[in-house]
Amino acid sequence: MLQLLRLVSIRHLSLSPLRTALTVLGVAVGVATLIGIAAINRAVMGAFRSTIDTIAGKADLSVSAGAAGFDEALLDKVRGLPGVAHAAGSISLIAPVKGSPGERLYVMGVDLLDDGFFRNYEGADRDVGHMSDDLEFLNSTDRMLVSEGFAHAHGLKAGDVFALLTPEGTRDFVVHGLLKETGPIKAFGGLVGVMYIGSAQVAFGREHVLERIDVGLGPGADADAVKKTLRDALGPQYEIARPDRRGQSVETMVRSFQLGLNLGSSVALLVGVFLVYNTVAIGVVQRRREIGVLRALGATRRRIRALFALEAMVLGALGSLLGIPLGTLLAKVTISAVSDSISSIYVQVNAKSVTFTPTEMIVGVALGIGGSLFAALRPAFVASKVQPVEALRRDMASGAAELNSFPTAVAVVLLLLVYPATKIPAPIENFPVGGYLAMFFILMGTTLLSPLVLRALQKLYQRPSELVLGVPGRLAADNFARAPARTAVPVSALAIGVAMTVCIAGFVGSFQKSSEKWIDQSVPADLFVTSSSKVAGVQNVPLKAEFGDALEKIEGVGAIDRLRIFQHDLMGLRIFIVSLNPEVYNVRGKPDVREGRLPTPQMREAGYVTISENLGRRRNLHPESTFQMDTPTGVRTYKVAAIITDYTSDQGTVFMDRRIFIEQFRDDRVDNFEIYLTDPRYLEPVRREITERFGTQYDLYVLSNQQLREEAFALIDNAFSVTYAMEFLAVVLALLGVINTLLAAVLDRTREIGLLRAIGAARRHIIRLFTTEAMLIGLTGGVIGSFSGYVLGYIVTKVVGVEATGWDFSYIFPYRLALQMMVAATVCAVIAGLYPARRASKLDVVEALAYE
Amino acid sequence: MITVDKAVRIYRRGKTEVRALNLESLVVPKGQFLSVMGASGSGKSTLLNLLGALDVPTSGTITIEGREISRLPDDELSRFRRDRLGFIFQFFNLLPTLTAVENVILPALLSGRARGEMVPKAHALLEQVGLKGRDHHRPDELSGGEMQRVAVARALLTEPALLLADEPTGNLDSRTGAEVLKLIREATRARNLTVVMVTHDPKAAEVGDRIVRLADGSVVGDEQTRPQAA
Ligand SMILES: Nc1ncnc2c1ncn2[C@@H]1O[C@H](COP(=O)(O)OP(=O)(O)OP(=O)(O)O)[C@@H](O)[C@H]1O
Ligand SMILES: [Mg+2]
Repeated sequence: MLQLLRLVSIRHLSLSPLRTALTVLGVAVGVATLIGIAAINRAVMGAFRSTIDTIAGKADLSVSAGAAGFDEALLDKVRGLPGVAHAAGSISLIAPVKGSPGERLYVMGVDLLDDGFFRNYEGADRDVGHMSDDLEFLNSTDRMLVSEGFAHAHGLKAGDVFALLTPEGTRDFVVHGLLKETGPIKAFGGLVGVMYIGSAQVAFGREHVLERIDVGLGPGADADAVKKTLRDALGPQYEIARPDRRGQSVETMVRSFQLGLNLGSSVALLVGVFLVYNTVAIGVVQRRREIGVLRALGATRRRIRALFALEAMVLGALGSLLGIPLGTLLAKVTISAVSDSISSIYVQVNAKSVTFTPTEMIVGVALGIGGSLFAALRPAFVASKVQPVEALRRDMASGAAELNSFPTAVAVVLLLLVYPATKIPAPIENFPVGGYLAMFFILMGTTLLSPLVLRALQKLYQRPSELVLGVPGRLAADNFARAPARTAVPVSALAIGVAMTVCIAGFVGSFQKSSEKWIDQSVPADLFVTSSSKVAGVQNVPLKAEFGDALEKIEGVGAIDRLRIFQHDLMGLRIFIVSLNPEVYNVRGKPDVREGRLPTPQMREAGYVTISENLGRRRNLHPESTFQMDTPTGVRTYKVAAIITDYTSDQGTVFMDRRIFIEQFRDDRVDNFEIYLTDPRYLEPVRREITERFGTQYDLYVLSNQQLREEAFALIDNAFSVTYAMEFLAVVLALLGVINTLLAAVLDRTREIGLLRAIGAARRHIIRLFTTEAMLIGLTGGVIGSFSGYVLGYIVTKVVGVEATGWDFSYIFPYRLALQMMVAATVCAVIAGLYPARRASKLDVVEALAYE
Repeated sequence: MITVDKAVRIYRRGKTEVRALNLESLVVPKGQFLSVMGASGSGKSTLLNLLGALDVPTSGTITIEGREISRLPDDELSRFRRDRLGFIFQFFNLLPTLTAVENVILPALLSGRARGEMVPKAHALLEQVGLKGRDHHRPDELSGGEMQRVAVARALLTEPALLLADEPTGNLDSRTGAEVLKLIREATRARNLTVVMVTHDPKAAEVGDRIVRLADGSVVGDEQTRPQAA
């Protein structure tokens, strides 16, 4: 068998080195994106988890209550409970580094007296074993131990001063000493600072607040029993968990985002598999005689099948091996984009490095080889059907495999299954299996149908091509549909790339259009003031409320709505609580109420809140539904008054009266000062005054309504930039397929080219013949892609998106982009066709005529 | 009129050189039907390729209708072929996706002439070669003889200066072959066309006015045939 492989396959592959190389490259890129994205997803989640884990240290249990925290008095209560041997309170926060845009330091405020039990710190330039005696450290509010990594990056040593953004504005901190990056200092990519809890509370405006209490059990104490003791003693609003259980709601939250990326990367592999199919199928057609000879010499059908399967696996293996270094490269280039997207939408992570696990590499190689094997099944089967007598046939192997009705039937069945598939419920949150399945059915269905479509299009293309491009145009139209099973491959590959691009653009566009309408109606303020981030949400630093008083005094400022936009866990979702002043908001804005009515002051007092459309959908909440939420002041029951359109978070949003929020959550900080001007003319003066007076101190971003809108658009665009890039890769791979197919066509039609040249066709005629065929392939791929992109976009918006975000946007098809993609696919295909065309035109006429 | 003067065609393959053609002189007057014979490898096809402007001689000159074609650039050669030459090969003469009519008018279309103007002419020619009613058949719906007839019609369409045929009947049974030969003979005689035909078959060669025999690239025999009864 291996002999046969060497004699028949390897020789064939090495005789068409370019085609072989393109195929291997196709598999490589597919495998690279697949494992690259898998590794990135893992690295990002790993960065998040490792922060949790390394910080958790040796704690057996931890008590927490979300980002709101709780009163530090609770610590004494915990310490007094049976079974608790150690308990240490802490806060942690992520502070933007002044003068270093985008960089953030993870600051832990820890109780040094007891913290040593849970976490070990190793000093790099001093002994930190007895920090609890270091009065200079304990009594200051600005002394911090920082990681070596952070210190080196900023050229800091003990005694040096650096600035961080705090709710009170920019604050200077003194480097008290450097810590080695071990244990908890490895968290957040090693950008960590440690303060005494009391100091941190003051410095970051969190007086008397703790965010977590780590608990170490006494000897012989049972974790479950202590957990129950804690729950009973503290009340249900506290999450009491083993450290490894934390972070799950975050995983659910980013799941749809990561799935989207996986989807994108699997499309690239799919297109890679198409290339393998193409190459093997072409190989079978071109070697019919050779196969006939083998059969005549006694090779069994099974042997022929095995030969081609093996050949594909060799291609797949080469591609996969190349895919691993390529994937590493890809992951290195992309990880910061993914990490930034997740940081700006969901949760701040600092993922910088990415490595492959052996499993990922094995899976990558297995998928590359397995996919190639799968691609070879049909061509290998066709090959095994070659009769020994074909060895004797002298006529050209035209490659014109007759159309088979079986794939068409399968295609029809797949397309019929699309609708039922969309109705399959998601088995777990944010995992819309049905929608993805429906998309797969559409892609495969159109692929299987495309040979038929090609035949139909040929008739359509003949006339216009001949009119515009002369006989070469006409011949190109004929050739285009001559081996429909083969030409369909690059057409479908292009169609898939185009379809996915159009589909994502459709979703993004629909999303953006809806957000625009939402901002128009519901976010009417003139200026938006946030610290350290353009948009309030995950990355900004909340400011102290008093800052608003200074803003209010500025001339031209009419009203200020102080918004706290606060991530909180609710019913297994990490939602946002938006607390605002309904007096201002309900008058100035026109929230789009979908169900119910906005609550009156009395209703708000009685626990009525407004929720976002997607939260309502995700948790089946309607007006008068009730739900419970943990607050620092106990578990409270809320009632839904109204459901409104809101695009703050894809997990869901609860709107509360700021006054009630402060009361219940003990948190009066402000994420976003929304300023209403007395007159639009004041826009620039007010903005200038805010920026000049407070800009540097508080690292402020002052956005106009228009800028906020642009920012929202950019946020959405960024979230999909990596997916776009992958679809772009898929299109490029498809173009390799165009080159591949045309190179094979040149070979197959060598005699024909010779004949055409003999009866007087000039070189440019031949060039036109092949570039026109390329053009038709591109055009057809673009058209089919746009059509299926339309449907895919609809499914992504109306099925996948609804499941993954809870939002139901009205679908807007991106006509402009679809048109651009059609043109781009056509033009790029022509460019891809130039090389094969040139090769055809350079053929020596006499040799071409003698070719068989 | 065709003049070949000291035409040499040498094929180089690595270090070995093959002198495929070494023709001192050959003159074919207008309207003559020349048959070329010779053993396999004697240079027949090489000669035909040179005459057909498909290949250029390593040295020497070839003149057709007063035009030196041995030193023309590729595009000029192509134009010359489609306007002034007609070809009939042994097999695979037609483009499989085109109908008989379309195959016939192909050279004219390549010259940029309008389809409408050529189609009636092609229909008439197809009728002349005995393919009435087959105009819209594709090659795979035609027999070998019929395909050769289409090729003849195509070669006649542009009223070429020279018709070249490389074993046009090599793939046909003797009866069909004889019919196709007769057709070529009559059609070219009626139009006073010059024909150069390569053949292995002495009987086929007899159809010509003159038979030239090649061996090792040189002329070793040149004789007029007895005039045949029409
Ligand atoms: N492309 C080429 N490269 C090298 N040698 C060639 C090439 N084409 C032809 N020859 C050689 O030139 C000589 C003449 O070849 P040619 O094809 O003209 O012979 P022929 O008389 O047509 O033979 P046949 O009757 O078999 O068709 C032969 O020896 C052949 O091997
Ligand atoms: Mg020959």
